[in-house]
Amino acid sequence: MQTLNEIDVAKAGIRAREGGANPFRRELEFTAVYRKHLTSEPPQRELACLRAMFPASFEPMQEQDVFAGRVSYPLVGFSPEPGGLGYYCREPEILQIMQESQLSPEERREVLEMLDFWRERTTAKKIRAAYPPEVSRVLPTDDWTRESGMAFPLYRMAGTVLDYAKLLAQGLGGLRAQVQERIADANGSGHDFLSATLGTLDLVAESARHYAEQARTLAQSASSEHWKRELKITADVLLRVSTEAPETLREAIQLMWSYALLSGTWNYGRMDVYLGPFLARDLESGRLDKSTALRLLQAFWRRMTDYDNQYNNRVIIGGVGRANEAEADAFALLALEATRLVHANQPQLSLRFHQRQNPALYEKALEVLSEGRTFPLLYNDDVNVPSVMKAFQVSREEAEQYVPFGCGEYVLEHRSVGSPNGLLNMAKCLEVTLHGGRDVVSGRQVGPEQKIDDLATFDDFWAAYCGQVERQVAALAWQERIEYDVTSQGAPFLLLSLLHDDCLARGKPIFGGGVRYLGGTLETYGNTNVADSLTAIHELVYTKKKYTLAQIAQACAANFVSHDRLRQELLDAPKYGNDIAVADEMAIRVHEHVCRVTREQARKVGLHSYLVVIINNWVNALFGITTGATPDGRHAGETLANANNPQPGMDRNGATAFLNSIAKLDAGLHAGAVQNMKFSKSLFNNHRPILNTLLHVYFQNGGAQAMLTVVDRGDLEAAMREPEKWGHLMVRVGGFSARFIDLPKESQLDLLRRTLY
Amino acid sequence: MISCDALSTEISKPCTGILTDVLRFSLHDGPGIRTTAFFKGCPLHCAWCHNPETQFPVVEIEFREDKCQKCGDCLRANAVEPKPGEYFDRERCPDIHRAVEACPSGALRIVGRSWTVDEVMAEALKDSAYYAASGGGITLSGGEPLAQFDFASALLAAARRHGIHTCVETCGHVPSDLLLAVLPDVDLLLYDWKFTDPERHRAETGVPNDLIRENLELAVQRTAVVLRCPLIPGVNDSDDHLQGIVALAKSLPKLKAIEVMPYHSAGAGKYERYGRRSPLPGVNAPSEQQVSGWMRKLAQAPCDVSVQRI
Repeated sequence: MQTLNEIDVAKAGIRAREGGANPFRRELEFTAVYRKHLTSEPPQRELACLRAMFPASFEPMQEQDVFAGRVSYPLVGFSPEPGGLGYYCREPEILQIMQESQLSPEERREVLEMLDFWRERTTAKKIRAAYPPEVSRVLPTDDWTRESGMAFPLYRMAGTVLDYAKLLAQGLGGLRAQVQERIADANGSGHDFLSATLGTLDLVAESARHYAEQARTLAQSASSEHWKRELKITADVLLRVSTEAPETLREAIQLMWSYALLSGTWNYGRMDVYLGPFLARDLESGRLDKSTALRLLQAFWRRMTDYDNQYNNRVIIGGVGRANEAEADAFALLALEATRLVHANQPQLSLRFHQRQNPALYEKALEVLSEGRTFPLLYNDDVNVPSVMKAFQVSREEAEQYVPFGCGEYVLEHRSVGSPNGLLNMAKCLEVTLHGGRDVVSGRQVGPEQKIDDLATFDDFWAAYCGQVERQVAALAWQERIEYDVTSQGAPFLLLSLLHDDCLARGKPIFGGGVRYLGGTLETYGNTNVADSLTAIHELVYTKKKYTLAQIAQACAANFVSHDRLRQELLDAPKYGNDIAVADEMAIRVHEHVCRVTREQARKVGLHSYLVVIINNWVNALFGITTGATPDGRHAGETLANANNPQPGMDRNGATAFLNSIAKLDAGLHAGAVQNMKFSKSLFNNHRPILNTLLHVYFQNGGAQAMLTVVDRGDLEAAMREPEKWGHLMVRVGGFSARFIDLPKESQLDLLRRTLY
Repeated sequence: MISCDALSTEISKPCTGILTDVLRFSLHDGPGIRTTAFFKGCPLHCAWCHNPETQFPVVEIEFREDKCQKCGDCLRANAVEPKPGEYFDRERCPDIHRAVEACPSGALRIVGRSWTVDEVMAEALKDSAYYAASGGGITLSGGEPLAQFDFASALLAAARRHGIHTCVETCGHVPSDLLLAVLPDVDLLLYDWKFTDPERHRAETGVPNDLIRENLELAVQRTAVVLRCPLIPGVNDSDDHLQGIVALAKSLPKLKAIEVMPYHSAGAGKYERYGRRSPLPGVNAPSEQQVSGWMRKLAQAPCDVSVQRI
């Protein structure tokens, strides 16, 4: 969710406090270049701006960096997502740092003038300015972390996964030749785009040479012979890949890393497919032995961890549709071992598996999980491939190339884009319905006024709720379309375009008609709270007629103060996650509704697909804070359910019931959902056959995905008491993993409340 | 003997039994992943019983003082105006169901309800794929399942029809003809053996052990039997009893295994919730050394001996 690493902001703050030259020098220079190219064609402007940013934004290499490449984004710059969307300016952070630093009046004036310049010119601002009135009415604010609301836009181009196989097969030189060929064929059309693309390839090469020089310099003062040797190899590797296609595993990793850093993408797709052949060749030729290869991967994993983005850094292994399967398997096993050895919350190693796959991969995965690593995340291809065919409306062959990114959204590797650019708080939609169109937290009338006494039947209430959801979804779909259009008008994103089908062939930028499938996704939250609330309302108001809707609304508005008995009955109503038909059927109804209305928008706004993603990060907790009490018995401010999991602690009917419930939601209607499961060490380690059975039957029953945390309740409690002793304790929060002790207390308690099986 | 199915067609009333719970994903009552039906009512009243809620075959009200808000609404529902500080009192709530209805905090809960065979089976069948893959099935526990013979036998027959593995936990104190009647539908019997000495057995459980012993001999000839021995420090962990277990096992060559169930005090606090007093105050769970001492003595038995912890 965060777009600029907090670390980068902190570094900028340190630069500012250290004094000396203007701490915003990089930002000012970038701005000057942008201004100079204000009227240039977008590809030339992008190239010039990238040159202003790189290699200046590369951090110095450190002695132990087997792979070169560390980036620190400036507070004004250009990126698809890591720094901000497109041309971005982090005004609040800059203002805060200014307050803490000793700028001269002249420097201060310069910076303020820069902020003035950007105020209406950032890509995000231009997107918002382009909203038609009906969209801005539904999406009045961007401040989803603080303000109460049903729907919010997000500004980013997330989840691009490049064609690394092509990059590694061609090398920078080969790609250059391809682009030049296109220029010759194109007879001048798309010339700006193609020639600027050549320029960015030169920049990748130049960055490699930049680091090669650093490596050589470092080697001269290396602390040991070992590091001296290593740094010299790194320098050679960098020089080679700046022109030639890579031949060794080390060269291949270095090239993909260099390219990925410059392009601003941070999900890495099917790594076993594109690195497997390099590993196999190195082992066969004797250039590498297994333990050295493992050390290389560990070094690579640490590099990704340093590039701290716990919400991304996805590495996919296994699954159907892999070329050179045996070589890929060997790489996958090595990757699993690297994850076992590197105790970190990144990369987010994800295993795709299916019935005919080499069972060693799945077995190794369980071994790694049993040690408390939270990785790999498990993806069941027997369910996911048909689901992706259905949801994305593509052939089996293309569906086989689905890859999860970020917190669990799917794209078709280097064939599609599906940036999650909308947030929908479904629990807020229900709250607004229950209160006649009013948001009880902000006190604003945000939907059509509706007398709830008129909602005589459950179907009336359901229809009113659906209406709220549908208005939000329609606006979010438009905003996604507008976001792509405005972003693409401003910049072609040359490096992303070059490695996405079919941008080069079409001579068009990725978000402007280049990528084969331009789709979008919408993150929904509170799905389970809505389902459980509707079950309780159905039972208590419309079936047993024990309370009126007005009484329920009143109790929720009062956060159940003096309504304890009513709340108890709401809590006693059946809950999703217990394999109870009435509760689970409501969850299915809610799921199918929101998924259906979302996918229907694609046609209306001209996207290839527009799909729900039911993932998780912090948003369920943040939206919980701004959502009043709900008729599932949840108090105001309490967290919303995690993705489409049961509300924490409400699944009380055993692991089989929990798994049966979550497998009921059709995976073919959305673009990814995550299922968090918490198992005790005792079950995992002492009852392994039972655990294997649980997972086996769950996946056979249609379970698409599983994220396992293996932990003991006592460990979590001890870690809250004595955090200093529990730095190693890793947990799966939602769509990301974290060290338990790093989580805010509210999240720690949320994790404790989740049922442990 | 009239079967439950026959009864149900004759008077068109489904066969029902009273259960405290049907627990899914049960891992301690037989092999694999199981669903366990806890029958309410038992002919024995063992002092160490950790499921006091299953002793009587009637609906009971559980009161959780830790959840009580001390609001007095239960008393008001019984037309008693509580003085400050007064809260739930069984004596003063003659209409206890009203009290439950009024309770705002979930401190009062009805325990036990009537289940039909179909209801239990519907719940159990939800996990049939897990049984098949783990070698699990359905377990009748309690309380004493065979004390509700018609219901228990109908349930076992229904499970058999669905091809689900069946397991019964029994105290063995049931008429022999009834036990023999259900055994064809029982794949595994978990059979309790509490005291070798008949007098101690009578004193601590309320019944003698001769029928239990006879039934055990009948059962091992007809189905797989695992002997379950709860061992309570200072109550029945004497050398005599441990040797008695070994001797019993030697006399029953078909016995599959012995499972030792070390006492745990988790049930002690439950008695108060039902307005009763714990009959075994002050007994602690055995130490690891005590348990391994028992296991050394039981190692003489001719079958597998293991510790089962719940």
